[in-house]
Amino acid sequence: MEPFEQVTTGTRLSTPADTLDNLDEVDLIPVRTYWELVRSRFIQHRLAVIAAFLMAILLLIAIVVPTVTGDAYKASSLTKVMQPPFQSLTTPFGTNQIGQDMWLRTAKAMQTSLFIGFMAVAIIVLIGVSLGAIAGFFGGWIDNLLMRFVDIVLSLPVFFVILMIVGFLGKGSATVVIIAIGLTGWTLACRLVRAEFLKLREADFVQAARALGANRARIAVRHMLPAALAPVVVAATLGIADSVVAEAALSFLGFGISPPDASLGNLLKNFQEDLQIRPWLLVYPSVAIVLIVLAASFLGDGLRDALDPRQRIEKK
Amino acid sequence: MATYVIRRVLQAIPILIGISIISFAIVQAAPGDPTDRFRSGRVSPQVIANLIRLYGLDKPVLEQFFSWFTAFWQFPFRADAWGYSFVDGRPVTEKIAEKIPTTLQLMGSALFVTAIIAVPLGVLAAVKQYSWADKIITTLATIGYALPSFVLGGLLLYIFYIKIGPSSPLHFPGFGRQTLGKSGDIGDILWHMVLPVSSLAIQQIAGWSRYMRSSMLEVMQQDYMRTARAKGLPGTKVLFKHGLRNALIPVITLLGLTIPSLLGGAAITESIFSWPGLGFMAVQSVTTNDYPVVLAIVMIGGVTVIIGNLIADVLYGLVDPRIKY
Repeated sequence: MEPFEQVTTGTRLSTPADTLDNLDEVDLIPVRTYWELVRSRFIQHRLAVIAAFLMAILLLIAIVVPTVTGDAYKASSLTKVMQPPFQSLTTPFGTNQIGQDMWLRTAKAMQTSLFIGFMAVAIIVLIGVSLGAIAGFFGGWIDNLLMRFVDIVLSLPVFFVILMIVGFLGKGSATVVIIAIGLTGWTLACRLVRAEFLKLREADFVQAARALGANRARIAVRHMLPAALAPVVVAATLGIADSVVAEAALSFLGFGISPPDASLGNLLKNFQEDLQIRPWLLVYPSVAIVLIVLAASFLGDGLRDALDPRQRIEKK
Repeated sequence: MATYVIRRVLQAIPILIGISIISFAIVQAAPGDPTDRFRSGRVSPQVIANLIRLYGLDKPVLEQFFSWFTAFWQFPFRADAWGYSFVDGRPVTEKIAEKIPTTLQLMGSALFVTAIIAVPLGVLAAVKQYSWADKIITTLATIGYALPSFVLGGLLLYIFYIKIGPSSPLHFPGFGRQTLGKSGDIGDILWHMVLPVSSLAIQQIAGWSRYMRSSMLEVMQQDYMRTARAKGLPGTKVLFKHGLRNALIPVITLLGLTIPSLLGGAAITESIFSWPGLGFMAVQSVTTNDYPVVLAIVMIGGVTVIIGNLIADVLYGLVDPRIKY
């Protein structure tokens, strides 16, 4: 974590020979590493801590419930059709028109949607970080070329292009949904990493590594990359919210994941008729989406304040 | 200024070519071609082969792209510039021209509503920072920002269309653009716009008001604000003449971001409220694999994004005299 050593202010008394006379105020501040500072700043951000807990609970439900119950979310039962919520202990969320347990379906849908969200963000980070690092590290015509490519992707009408990719190349396929969201969403991460790399090129520790004879790949990957990742972590956290919403929108329109599989979007799909007759069926996926979006965005805000306080847009 | 605009328009050309290549490549990768709907027992293979030659499908991909691309830009003069719909055989230009006004009506109203609601809210929240008004606005903005349009649209439909009965004045129509038999009645159209425009605008209002608030807070800390107050100007004058004008400058860049997101939002909002616009047509055309229509809509979307950014940049220069081109 070379770049952050400047953040650590105090220095310990270096030799026993130091007398009390030399002891000024700075020396009394305990040494705090970068990560200790990050943690304390994050904990001060109350909403972010709540969001972290919320995200942990959502992930826990999404991972544990479907794993324990297996394929039960697909099982329909003709004797238990259209039960309203809170009527029986076994089906607390009620059942849908073919008797599937809505609690299990919601949990499974959260798993599918969060999985798609995280995988899409993984692609976004992979493409964005590599292209941004290459552009920022080499500069010159490589940078120019890559940035023109970024301009093109930025000008794509993103939602229509995602719709087109999924609709034409793989209706109902989670992989295609992930790829479509990933391929259209990496520009922000790319520009952030590029900007960091451009700044870091002249940083003292990079010069030092160069002077020590480190080769270019080592400088880029071992020295510059870790220092450039803070804004990407923030963008990736916020990106999870966007990707989950994009998947839900696709499945809602009938192009993403389709029944009997469950995703937050396809639980909303029978929207028009459910809204009239059994509105509670729409409450679960809606609440789940809103909670995921809120948790991810507060987590992102908290991480931004903690990892890089200078980036803060809003002054408190 | 004029040279700047010309330079920006010229810069847009390679971007447009890039967008065309990407969209064309996606359609090329998609299974099926325009002759598929003729492939039944009653159509002879000879006829199919003739059709393939007619459509130019036997030519190399590069040549196909070139002829599509050059034809595409002749749309002001040729009805067949964008090809014919696979579904009903009508010229795509004609189909799209019908839908553009209704989508613009929806998007324009949403943009207008966003601006006139979000700017005052943001200013109020900034001026009365930490007051209850600020807290309510900030909280609502956070919630509004987390509500995707399909969730919000459902909520609005449920409350104002289903729960509140038709006898109440708060009951709004939930489907379509006008009541049958009442075509051209402006009041009726406005009435139908209430729910779709709200569902499209609320997320934008949330984003804009947060942005407006932080922009106003930043301006209020500037030295020129203190100077204005120190020389004895009344508070409102300082706030609106010195503060608001400067705080509005960064909001203009939001225009460039809002237009594409409104366009994407229109696809969902129009589908929910059966609003007969471009977004609804895009969704239907993807469902029916109507490639020419989808391709044209994606191109229009790309042009809209580029124009939105151009307008934002040019306005920025016009409003802020510190920026020189």
